[in-house]
Amino acid sequence: MKTDVLVIGGGPAGIAAAINAWIAGAKVILIEREYRLGGILNQCIHNGFGLHFFGEELTGPEYATRFIEMLNKTTARVLLNTAAVKLTKKDKLFVVSTSGEHGLVDIEAKSIVLAMGCRERAGGAIGLAGERPAGVFTAGFAQKMINCYGKHIGKKVVILGSGDIGLIMARRLKCEGADVVGVYEIASTSSGLKRNISQCLMDFNIPITYNTTVTKVEGKKRVTGVWVAPVDKNWKPIKEKAKLIKCDTLLLSVGLIPENDLVINHPIEISPLTNGAITDEQGQTTMKGIFSCGNVMHVHDLVDNVSHEAARAGKHAALSALGKLRSGKKIPVQHCDKIRYVQPTSVYKSDADTAHIFFRVKQDYRRAALIAYSDGKQIARKNCMIVTPGEMQELEIIKTRLGSDLVIKVEAF
Amino acid sequence: MEKYEVAVIGGGVVGASVFNLLTRKGVNVVMLEACPDVAGGATKANSGIVHSGFHPEPGSLMAKFNVRGTQMFDSMCKRLGVKYFKTGTLTVTNRAGFSELQRLIKRGEANGAGHMQLLNRRDLLLLEPNIADGIECGLLASNGGYVSPYLLTIALSEEGVINGGKIVLDYFADRIEKKGKLYYIYAGKKVVAAKMLVNCAGVKAGYINKLVGDTVFNCNYIKGEYIILAPEEKDFVKRPICMLPTEFGKGVFVTPTEHNVMFGPTAKCCKPDDTGVEPESLDYIKQQSLICVKNPNFKKAIKLFAGVRTKSGFDFVIERSHKNPGFYYAIGICSPGLTAAPAIAEHIVAMMKQDGLTLHDKTLVKRDVPVEFRKLSPAQQKVLVKKNPAYARIVCRCEQITEGEILDAFKSPVLPTTIDALKRRLRVTMGRCQGGFCTSYILKLIESKLNVPMDKISIKGPGSEITLGNIKTGGIYEN
Repeated sequence: MKTDVLVIGGGPAGIAAAINAWIAGAKVILIEREYRLGGILNQCIHNGFGLHFFGEELTGPEYATRFIEMLNKTTARVLLNTAAVKLTKKDKLFVVSTSGEHGLVDIEAKSIVLAMGCRERAGGAIGLAGERPAGVFTAGFAQKMINCYGKHIGKKVVILGSGDIGLIMARRLKCEGADVVGVYEIASTSSGLKRNISQCLMDFNIPITYNTTVTKVEGKKRVTGVWVAPVDKNWKPIKEKAKLIKCDTLLLSVGLIPENDLVINHPIEISPLTNGAITDEQGQTTMKGIFSCGNVMHVHDLVDNVSHEAARAGKHAALSALGKLRSGKKIPVQHCDKIRYVQPTSVYKSDADTAHIFFRVKQDYRRAALIAYSDGKQIARKNCMIVTPGEMQELEIIKTRLGSDLVIKVEAF
Repeated sequence: MEKYEVAVIGGGVVGASVFNLLTRKGVNVVMLEACPDVAGGATKANSGIVHSGFHPEPGSLMAKFNVRGTQMFDSMCKRLGVKYFKTGTLTVTNRAGFSELQRLIKRGEANGAGHMQLLNRRDLLLLEPNIADGIECGLLASNGGYVSPYLLTIALSEEGVINGGKIVLDYFADRIEKKGKLYYIYAGKKVVAAKMLVNCAGVKAGYINKLVGDTVFNCNYIKGEYIILAPEEKDFVKRPICMLPTEFGKGVFVTPTEHNVMFGPTAKCCKPDDTGVEPESLDYIKQQSLICVKNPNFKKAIKLFAGVRTKSGFDFVIERSHKNPGFYYAIGICSPGLTAAPAIAEHIVAMMKQDGLTLHDKTLVKRDVPVEFRKLSPAQQKVLVKKNPAYARIVCRCEQITEGEILDAFKSPVLPTTIDALKRRLRVTMGRCQGGFCTSYILKLIESKLNVPMDKISIKGPGSEITLGNIKTGGIYEN
């Protein structure tokens, strides 16, 4: 099978990339391992999606459906139940070996869009000690069992970590009659959105305790309790203060890891901060012809941002395949030490009219001005009463104002 | 009630070795296992190292069976189709430990542990680039390497069944009576009778002896905890690397497995059923492993686990009972129990033969080695997919295990019915996502192919079910 652009992954990133690659004039194939498009949105039956993109509140499946309908109007080819197994290079072409309902098929493409999303960090990765009974779930797995399979997974639940899925699931479990004992977060702030803390915890009287973690799981066959202990400055649990909380279920919402395993042996630079590929403004990775977008690049809070980002990557993947990709002078995006990472890590002086710089701060800052400087002059600014690590920040840069460098800073105002 | 010539209690590597050998000798034998799968106790948590035999005291049963076991491993694994990585093992130390290494070589020579070689730092670095900076010398023992302790046990069990043996899982013996020439082994309302009884019950071996009314040995239970890293760290070491043994045991190893690298075990006294990992042990394992290797990437940890080994004095206890004719027991089978298992079986079966058990050689029915689809060539894969399209459906994305392989496992002579049983056979849920993505598909497959309602499917037997009933009835959910 041959194509201009091959999009790997049919979640929100892959769909938006495929649509925009097709609009840009390329022949497009999208492969998705599941039996339907939509990715993780299919299990996110809560609302709050689309406020930025569509200006209205949609559920996950509704948001996905809007994009799937757009994709259906294109001639992009969609292969469902098809997994990418291996990526190789043959001369100037990429070859992706796939496995699925069409058997074992090699797809040759001029450019590739990586849109594989992310996976959840599991207990072993955070050193969760104790026995290994049933009743320990990652939040997303629990979400799938409840929302897609209609199954109860626990009656008395402790949640470790305050990522957005953990918060959403706290509310979801409560709605299904479970006793949600509380949410414990090792950091001093939540890694989730403020609106989720308010709508999923406070509105449902679910307590959240910061600077605290779960150290050990009790129970041979099913969870019977978890040990919870406050942590010191270095996140080491204070053993003397540990207490046992009785429960039958532990939900883990302790981070998401981009699923870049397909490209692990290729010269694609992966950021140690995001675990995703480092990309330029056009979404191109450090390997020419390979683009990346969505949660496989860096974990987003809002699907709306994913759609925008993926649209850019898809468009430029098409231009790259058609030999029309414009480059020009690349300016690296620098940042101050209050910022954990920025994405993209470089912008082009010309090309598009504007560039969108996304970044996360390292900790909470009150009365923070987010400023982009070029040649020492402010070229973009946003004043915020509070910025937190859990919420991705965005600055729009108007290219005509861009000088020879670009530095993003967080300052007090 | 079913009657057998021999009943083996315990489906760990020792029990399965005895069971397997008896079936190959034409004996009508049953193996009774308390867990829902074989290898459910200490075996599954073994480090998988095949020791060359320089650790045990010369003259001990440990020395004898270790050395004999190592000799038997190659042909046993070939026969079973189990991968045995005969890499040798490496014991490393700083300059001060040199004389201790020489002592180990002497002990190895006395035991007959095969080829051993002292190496300096330069030679060590050629073999293992990641050894720690302080390491100055090492002992390479060529006999030995590593194996999957549970795949070996599963293979032994399967071959045993194919050759006429019977395995009863979920059989927790709670009463044993001797009436006439028969032992009656009860588990609740179930009962099995046999002329001869072999106790290979691991941590429960003392308990089984008590049920028979036989000598009760003093046992200590020692927990070993491990950290496993993600598959991408697999090449960190090429062979098991250990430090000098201490009075507490062989210390913390860095051990490759076929797909991962692991660090452990610890050695802590515990209760027999305590397989919980202590939070403090993680730091201990990390610190100790730094004696042998440098910069292990513990950020890539994907799983912690622990197992309990049984110690009774300083040696294995492998005897025929003097009180109860026809009763044999293997107690205190700690390290090097995995390596010694085939030799222990040989010894026990020889005792039974002396006591009148009739053995005869018969034609072996070979076990079908399970397909590992991801390891086949593209041409072989295409042939298989043409025969069965299920091989093209990947269920476990991390380890790339296909639906075809799961369906194959459902036809296995020792049927996997729990998530853990499938995991040990195929590696599903064993990868970097630890089952976050694929468990739901596996539940569906077990539900539809084995006809088990989802709410009855467990991780490791009754009480460890994953789902707890429907949220609402009448809705349309995925199926």
